Amino acid sequence: MAAAGVGIAVLLPFVSLVMWSLSSRWFYPQLWPRQWGLRAWQYVFSTAGPQILAALGQSVLVAATTAAISVAIGIPAGRALGLYDFRGKDLVSVVLILPVIVPPLCVTMGLHLWFIIMGLAGSFFGVVLVHLTFCLPYAVFVMWGIFSNYNPSYEEQARSLGASAWKVLVRVILPLTFPGIMVAGLFSFLLSWSQYLSTLIIGGGKVTTLPILLFALMGSGDRPVAAAVSIVFVAPALLALLFSARYLGGKGIAGIR
Amino acid sequence: MGDLELKNITIGYGNTPVIRDFSLTVENGQMASLLGPSGAGKTTVLRAVAGLLQPRSGAIIIDGRPANGLPPEKRNAVMVFQKTLLFPFMNVEQNIGFGLQMQGRSTGEIRRRVEKILELTELTGLNRRKIHELSGGQQQRVSLARALVLKPAILLLDEPLSSLDATLRQHMRELIQDIQAQTRITTLFVTHDQAEALMMSQRVCLLLNGRIRQVGSPRELFYRPADPDVARFFGGCNFFEGRLKNGVYYSQYATVAAPGLSANGDRLTATIRPEDIRICADGNRGITGRVQKTSFEGTTTRIWVQCQDRVFVVLAPVTDLQAGQSVRLHLPPDKIRIFAAEN
Ligand SMILES: Nc1ncnc2c1ncn2[C@@H]1O[C@H](COP(=O)(O)OP(=O)(O)O)[C@@H](O)[C@H]1O
Ligand SMILES: [Mg+2]
Repeated sequence: MAAAGVGIAVLLPFVSLVMWSLSSRWFYPQLWPRQWGLRAWQYVFSTAGPQILAALGQSVLVAATTAAISVAIGIPAGRALGLYDFRGKDLVSVVLILPVIVPPLCVTMGLHLWFIIMGLAGSFFGVVLVHLTFCLPYAVFVMWGIFSNYNPSYEEQARSLGASAWKVLVRVILPLTFPGIMVAGLFSFLLSWSQYLSTLIIGGGKVTTLPILLFALMGSGDRPVAAAVSIVFVAPALLALLFSARYLGGKGIAGIR
Repeated sequence: MGDLELKNITIGYGNTPVIRDFSLTVENGQMASLLGPSGAGKTTVLRAVAGLLQPRSGAIIIDGRPANGLPPEKRNAVMVFQKTLLFPFMNVEQNIGFGLQMQGRSTGEIRRRVEKILELTELTGLNRRKIHELSGGQQQRVSLARALVLKPAILLLDEPLSSLDATLRQHMRELIQDIQAQTRITTLFVTHDQAEALMMSQRVCLLLNGRIRQVGSPRELFYRPADPDVARFFGGCNFFEGRLKNGVYYSQYATVAAPGLSANGDRLTATIRPEDIRICADGNRGITGRVQKTSFEGTTTRIWVQCQDRVFVVLAPVTDLQAGQSVRLHLPPDKIRIFAAEN
């Protein structure tokens, strides 16, 4: 019952989005579109097709790069935080949580000047870097939690059985923490995927991700088109979520200890 | 196969040394037990031999070659941890084949050797089992098989049986002995259980507080402990004092000819094992005492007897003695062990 309730609550906005995208005439107080049509979808796939496709590619590239870097840094950082006690550990958690609690606009504005000085403004890498300030803390926190429930003796056992340090990473550490890596990667990907303000400011219009294009198209006031583009925007994120749903529960992590 | 030689090893965590001046040799093809109470530093020694820990000083020589600078994967010594650290994301076969895979062996060779070791460790047919579908004893055997399959020069077993129940433990002890006798892999077997150490190997090394206190055959350690601490570790509980005069040891409780000891007039401590004391309700031999309490332990009964200013603990098959009863104790001189010098 509860699950069904949550499901309905989550799906309800999508229902109206789909309805919007399929309507050609739908005015206020009417509960149902007056006239159905595929005009919005024709627009998405033909007129604006190349534009949307390019933005989609850009978004995937930015989000995948951000997620990969987040995980690559999150694993060693989380391992150090989870397994060892060192001075300044509390400070690290404060610094990590800062970009999460400070409004993104402030963080981005603060970084903008430095990015201009370093020549990163308006570049792909600049956008990835600003996304990382939001995504990396999540990845580190997730991996920190994973490594707090982790027995490093597995690594020693593997070394004694003849595995080099590199083999231990690939054959032992990664498989043992795989569910956590999936969660950290997914969070980073989705967070980067939905960035608008930071991409707009740092990208300066030169890095056109899907949200940037979406807002531009919505600005024209065409609701059905905006709805169709929104679906295009949400669909890949939803797919990624479904694909990795089995790692989100506790089950996948249970075997580690 | 090869021998293991540890020379004057000192190991520490941070600033405190845990193992001091540790020397031990395990000869090719033999199994030696490293015995000591929890926290004595047994695991620390094994980790140093396996290369997971660098000793501060001293030499580790594996199969005639100094191993101090070698990383763990390059050492011909494999450690089996106390906790069975089987990889949960691999099945039995994959776990056992892990080390061979690291050596870059062919799939065919791995399959053949894994199959052979499965048979040796009584795991035949469990190739595809998931780790969490195995019993505790089976997990322990997989963990052992995973090391055995590599045929290392030195096998280091860290309390491999401590998590098993009594019957299973006995079976596993015999299995390990059989396998060791068959494979002739030089083995250092760590345990905190004195009976286990005595039955497992021809050579026992007792570690107390980070130092070797005695190395020898099981009988030597049991019957001729080097000092009172060793005797105490093996269940010795009767200690008394006496003086040496012209090769004879005199105490209130017994007089013992001690030709081997030369010191004259020294106060020396002596001990006798509780099961070696003869106890009887009457008679005229030995010393008189009064039963304080008794405790039935199955095959034997433990009896506390107050004799003059000392309480003796006696293990005897009799069960009909009552507290308060007056008895006689006889301490056979040939069972009394006199310690050379006061520590
Ligand atoms: N990683 C460590 N850091 C600091 N001290 C340790 C560490 N591991 C063990 N010790 C200490 O070293 C001593 C010996 O430990 P250990 O070798 O595990 O003993 P055993 O295996 O005989 O029970 C203990 O006092 C223990 O507290
Ligand atoms: Mg130990």
